[in-house]
Amino acid sequence: MTAVSALLPTILLTAGILAVLLADAVGKGRRPQVLPWISGAALVGTAAVAIVWLAGARGDDRIVLGALRMDAFAFVMTLFCAVAGLVSILATLVGDGNRRPGGEFHALVLAAVVGMSVLGAAVDMVTLYLAFELVSITGYVLVGMRRGDRLANEASLKYVLFGAVSSGLMIYGLSLLFGLAGGTSLEALRVAVAQGAGTQPVFGAAVLLVFAGFAFKISAVPFHFWAPDVYQGAPTAVAGFLSVASKAAGFAGLIRVVDALGATAQRAAGTGTVLRWLDGSPAGVVATVLGVCAVLTMTLGNLGACRQNDLKRLLAYSSIAQAGYMLMAVTMWTPDALASLVFYLVTYLFMNLAAFLLAGIVIRSAGTSSLDGLKGLGYRNPWLAGTFTVVMLSLTGIPPMFGFLGKFVLFASVLSEGYLWFAVIGLLNGAISLYYYAKPLLRMYLDGPAPDAPAVRVSPGAAVLAGVLVLPVVAFFLAWSPLATWTKSVLPTLRIGS
Amino acid sequence: MGSNLLSLTFLLPLAGSVLVLLVPKESAGRACRWVNLLATLATFVATLAVWSGWNAAKAKLLPGQYALTEDVEWIAAFGIRYHLGVDGVSVALLLLTSFVSIGASMASWNVEKSAKGYHSMFLLLLAGMVGVFMALDLFLFYLFWEIMLLPMYFLIGIWGGPRRQYASIKFFLYTLAGSVLMLAGIVLIWIHHRTFQIPEIVQIAQSTGLFEGKVDGAATYRLLCFIGFFVAFAIKVPLFPFHTWLPDAHVEAPTPISMILAGVLLKMGGYGLIRMAYPFFPAAAVTLQYWIVGLSLASIVYGALVAMAQTDFKKLVAYSSVSHMGFVTLGLASLTPEGSNGAMYMMLAHGTISPMLFMLVGVIYERAHHRDIDRFGGLAWAMPRYGVLAAFGIFASLGLPGLSGFIAEITVFLGSFDRFPRLTLIATLGMVVTAAYYLITLQKVYLGDTPAVYQDKAHYPDVSPRELWILLPLAAVTLLMGVLPGLAMEIYRVDLEGIVKGVKEVGDAIAKVK
Repeated sequence: MTAVSALLPTILLTAGILAVLLADAVGKGRRPQVLPWISGAALVGTAAVAIVWLAGARGDDRIVLGALRMDAFAFVMTLFCAVAGLVSILATLVGDGNRRPGGEFHALVLAAVVGMSVLGAAVDMVTLYLAFELVSITGYVLVGMRRGDRLANEASLKYVLFGAVSSGLMIYGLSLLFGLAGGTSLEALRVAVAQGAGTQPVFGAAVLLVFAGFAFKISAVPFHFWAPDVYQGAPTAVAGFLSVASKAAGFAGLIRVVDALGATAQRAAGTGTVLRWLDGSPAGVVATVLGVCAVLTMTLGNLGACRQNDLKRLLAYSSIAQAGYMLMAVTMWTPDALASLVFYLVTYLFMNLAAFLLAGIVIRSAGTSSLDGLKGLGYRNPWLAGTFTVVMLSLTGIPPMFGFLGKFVLFASVLSEGYLWFAVIGLLNGAISLYYYAKPLLRMYLDGPAPDAPAVRVSPGAAVLAGVLVLPVVAFFLAWSPLATWTKSVLPTLRIGS
Repeated sequence: MGSNLLSLTFLLPLAGSVLVLLVPKESAGRACRWVNLLATLATFVATLAVWSGWNAAKAKLLPGQYALTEDVEWIAAFGIRYHLGVDGVSVALLLLTSFVSIGASMASWNVEKSAKGYHSMFLLLLAGMVGVFMALDLFLFYLFWEIMLLPMYFLIGIWGGPRRQYASIKFFLYTLAGSVLMLAGIVLIWIHHRTFQIPEIVQIAQSTGLFEGKVDGAATYRLLCFIGFFVAFAIKVPLFPFHTWLPDAHVEAPTPISMILAGVLLKMGGYGLIRMAYPFFPAAAVTLQYWIVGLSLASIVYGALVAMAQTDFKKLVAYSSVSHMGFVTLGLASLTPEGSNGAMYMMLAHGTISPMLFMLVGVIYERAHHRDIDRFGGLAWAMPRYGVLAAFGIFASLGLPGLSGFIAEITVFLGSFDRFPRLTLIATLGMVVTAAYYLITLQKVYLGDTPAVYQDKAHYPDVSPRELWILLPLAAVTLLMGVLPGLAMEIYRVDLEGIVKGVKEVGDAIAKVK
């Protein structure tokens, strides 16, 4: 495999961007028909390249241009974000015909996927930061694309302000790490930390600063405040895309950095405790920052969600809480834990994209994103309501849904390290989350039929897309052994446990 | 053994549940209830077949072995197996489940609101319930255990009384909070022993003890895990102070669902204690023995006292369940053969008597549209057949000799008196209070003068044939179990005594070492 073939996804996506912009400029009249085909083809091609690579030679990792490590993990992230992008584009097509987005939407989604794909592969601090910013900036524009919508404008501005602050903190942190490492490559950083750079006082500050950037990207506490407003103001397809792909890319970048910060170095066998975290070693510092953040994120996310009466804000807080669970896996930093994170991300891809897709359908037909718009939906459209119910239960983690399997695998990896209290906090958080995930169910079924409300129509395309997303959520429990095995085989080439 | 009888037992109601959804909308109400009844009857026949299959197989089984097992690899990556099997304890509870469900299915006859959804949920619930009693893989068990929650949530939440929204979410949250703690325990066992199979885990527990040699402080781990399992099951039982969901759920649930809730769901707590919590962690069970006895006594006495204070007939029956189920945990905690046999007998007796009582409340609620004990009077004269059945149910529940409740209470007492003579006296206090509130209720509702409203034959007809056929079989079993206790006890006695003996021996041995 040459460097070119390793970069094929990026090349394909970039070609897609150019083609979209060209087609948009040339064929003004026909643009809604042609554009989705171009961007769709680019994303399908990217996904196909990733699949072929993953199905083929393993262990053929290589560092491209000193900046990207094209290993299985990088391709998994590329696949993941391409699928999320594809679903978001399809979601805009199956919706309301006269609100179809123009060429800039397709170009931005493709650009965002490029950024995410690079972020999942970056092993150089500058590349990492560039990819990070590419994802952020495309995100700002995607959120604010409905220029006439005041909520969207507000959301976009908020997103920009939060993003600017946190990426400023991050670049400052990276510059400190550059000082410690004496170079921009993560490998240099790893060597420096292993040689004692991690014990310098500035190390803790640098970790905190860099983490601020990632916390923003994955919507972790205390950098989560943007999420409810942004998800509420953004078009649902964009909100779904950001909540899934942008978050996954953030985790991918985080994993690359945490690896270099030496989290693996001293993670020997034995039972861990809070004290183990606070022992002052570089690994301890990183684990403490991540662990505290995980607990705060899931708890505050869940408690915040309990107070919401707007469907999109509820989903926003839910995705904050979900980030908390995922952070638990990064904190544990064992092969099992990282495999469980990949597993969890796959479950999350399906259930959260489905949640936003269905929420979009409901909101369009009800004309409001308030939870009251769901009233009596169980009687007006049993299929839509039933599907939405399944998704909510899956997000809660009720068996036998996909989301339960994700939580099961994740908590098993936490418990196997002996962090009983950590897992119990997570499990109890799952129980709390039932309170708000049941809120839509209550509106849909328990309030009784709303006699004057019209029947909700779902276009055939939307029905098929929802079906494709929800089928695994319901049926995956029948045979999930292959996925569990597969996730263990695609871990990034890290020095876990060495 | 190559038989798929157990799979069939839970697939039958599951298939019924799907079939109901396929019924065309126009004829939904009538067709669905027939599908429901037929599927429930078929499930009952299947459990009878399980019973006879188990009878035929049991002579060849070693102690602690299960009959009619199906064991197939399922999720290889986690060692999860599709593993079903029954012993005497599960057979007895399977029979109870399908039997009570027939009555509940008939009681669902006049559900009008969204009949399709109702009957589908009902059958899904039944599938989950029978699954719980057959699963021998902890993961599979947990799946069945949780799958029941959802239909229950909707059945209470959609078809329930005025405060149904509050009651249903409270039920859901309580049970889920309990079961996530159990899940932590299940996962811990898997992590250290790489198995989900109940028989294997019991074997490890009784030879070396779980976690022994795997972690530092194995005893603490066992204690914590026991508490996790115990709380999950105690919420279901429900044991004081985890009982507060029950009065709300019972009062708001529609009559057939109350019958199932009281008749079967509470028994899952007891079953979990017998099958998992006690045998997995015998030493912890012995260590915490007095705590469990204390909570049981509190349930018995507190439940009875609160029942006495009720004016809502249904709430009274609900609190009487708290009181009676306290005997189950009391009997188990004694770890004597008599006590545990009594506990199990109490589950079966309460499992038939309390659905009968809920049905009796339902009959009068349907006519009067209220359940206020103080506003009734002399119903036995206005509705003679109903009066006789009600008196029968009430006497059965307060423990009249000759009926099943008496046998249960007396055997629990025999066991627990042996072990804790003085503490057991406190439980008798509960029995006195129980007798008092039931007799007062009987007198207020059924005896005395009949107010004019209730004499109106058009609005207060005596029990209909359908209602009669729901109540009579339950009453017949109550009488049969009261006269011939051996009949039911022999189903589970040998297996249950084996389990309890194992728990006691291992538990005592470890406690002595300390």
